[in-house]
Amino acid sequence: MSPEILSAIGISARVALVATALDAAVGLPLAYGLARKPMTAKSAVELLVTLPLVLPPTVTGYYLIVLLGRRGWVGAPLFGLTGWSVAFTWYGAAIAAAVMALPLLVRTARAAIESVDRDLERAAFTLGRSEWQTALAVTIPLARNGIMAGLVLTFARALGEFGATLMLAGNIPGRTTTIPLAIYTAVETGETGDALLLAGALTVLSCLVIFIANRLGTAAP
Amino acid sequence: MSQRLEVGLRLQVPGFALDVDWTAGEGVAVLFGPSGSGKTLTLQCLAGLVHPQAGRIVLDGQVLFDATAGIHLPPQQRRVGYVFQGYALFPHLSVAENLAFGLHGAPRTERARRTAAMIERLGLGQLERRYPRELSGGQKQRVALGRALATEPAMLLLDEPLSALDMPLRRTLRDELRSILSEWKIPAVLVTHDLAEAYQLGDRVIVYEQGSVRQAGPRGELLWRPASESVARILGIRNILRGRVLEASPQGIRLLWRGQRLEAMAPPEPTPLPAPGSDVAFFARPEDLRLIRKDGPPPDPVHHTNLLSGSLIREADFGATWTLLVRLDEPGAPAQGDYDLEIEIPRFVYDTLRIRQDRHWQLSIHFRSIHVLPS
Repeated sequence: MSPEILSAIGISARVALVATALDAAVGLPLAYGLARKPMTAKSAVELLVTLPLVLPPTVTGYYLIVLLGRRGWVGAPLFGLTGWSVAFTWYGAAIAAAVMALPLLVRTARAAIESVDRDLERAAFTLGRSEWQTALAVTIPLARNGIMAGLVLTFARALGEFGATLMLAGNIPGRTTTIPLAIYTAVETGETGDALLLAGALTVLSCLVIFIANRLGTAAP
Repeated sequence: MSQRLEVGLRLQVPGFALDVDWTAGEGVAVLFGPSGSGKTLTLQCLAGLVHPQAGRIVLDGQVLFDATAGIHLPPQQRRVGYVFQGYALFPHLSVAENLAFGLHGAPRTERARRTAAMIERLGLGQLERRYPRELSGGQKQRVALGRALATEPAMLLLDEPLSALDMPLRRTLRDELRSILSEWKIPAVLVTHDLAEAYQLGDRVIVYEQGSVRQAGPRGELLWRPASESVARILGIRNILRGRVLEASPQGIRLLWRGQRLEAMAPPEPTPLPAPGSDVAFFARPEDLRLIRKDGPPPDPVHHTNLLSGSLIREADFGATWTLLVRLDEPGAPAQGDYDLEIEIPRFVYDTLRIRQDRHWQLSIHFRSIHVLPS
């Protein structure tokens, strides 16, 4: 295996893990809120979260540049203060992957939380547990399989992200080149052996993820 | 019986309004009525799970809810045990963990002691390590009761506790539930749409319809003295008829119905007598109607009041009993669709009187079996 391929695998693993962790931190509370809390502008939040699923990834990537680029709304003040920007770093790749994969997690986890019988939560309330305690002792344990399936799908989606990552993080070998970007480069430069190897690896991994997600989806809590 | 629970609730949701006032003492108050009449919503208000717009709930002198005073205790602070429809046992916890769920604030040893005491008291000894999906319907009911009672609540709420069970088991568990409820000396409010269940378990019955209370009183009063025609219909009483009052005195009421004069009992005090000339509703239970045997002595007016004659137009076999639909000989429109009266007789009577062949009969209704409903 060439060093380019090895480095792409390392970057991809790092990007996908960080993206999944980011999505868990943001997406799970969001899923719980959408499922259980009366929220003002609930449909607006839903729309915003779902949008990356529908928009072309390059459009999402473009918005991320507008927001986080060196001259972006958030990126410019950040650059002014620290002299650092997420653009063209693997952090940028992780953020892009997280945004692209967020709808999958929120939708899966929300459905899992909504499928928990509300009477179980009501029972916990009458037995003296606060809403927070009830979420931890009843709702989340019972929605666990759905949440796990959502996290697995999120990881897989983050691993395969291409368009938005390219826009925000670029394709810098050894720094931001993830597996999908490496495949693109390999095909462009005629390195068909590398392309085939990486494409095959991603396909096998995706099959595994779908298998795990389905198993979690059908297993009783 | 001193009043321990005072309830006044006003709540408006799209397409439904709840507006009820009632009280209950020690023992079981049953909320009885058709589905969608606001019974479960009332329980949720009592438990603090739903916030009414107006009203007041007082339990043993403690105000749980008072809209004008701005008091709304959250469910966690109400000390109310709730047995949910379908029991709502935590599927991921064992029987022992379910029972201990409400005791998480207590010290570890205290929690273990009280859980063990509840397991002992409800005879759940062999089951403490099992999970809800491994329990029978009756065992689930006991665990749900135990989980609610373990917190030593000031009141117990039960939502259709027997509806999840099969018929034969239902009867056994009704008796078991009654003995458990009488053991705990706390007010209990039980929701049901099953009349037998309401009568067996309730000391007091509160009849709900469309978000309002139609009648509240001791269980016997409900069954024998429904407060109105609509309550009689909710109770599923058959042969509810309408007639005109000819005479009314404390000794009895004379009615005109379908061209016949009927003698009826006067309603017990303090219900006022209906005015002569007014239209009233009355009922005669199908099992109280008597067919007159043709091989016996001819009917005499001393023993057979309210003598009628008519033909059978249809019948239905209910196994142990037969229901016969009778149309009177008297010309005119039938009182209930295409028939006038419904009669229920035991199967052996149907066979011995050869009713399948013999279709024309005389019948009588004892004057005590005709109940005039207050209007």
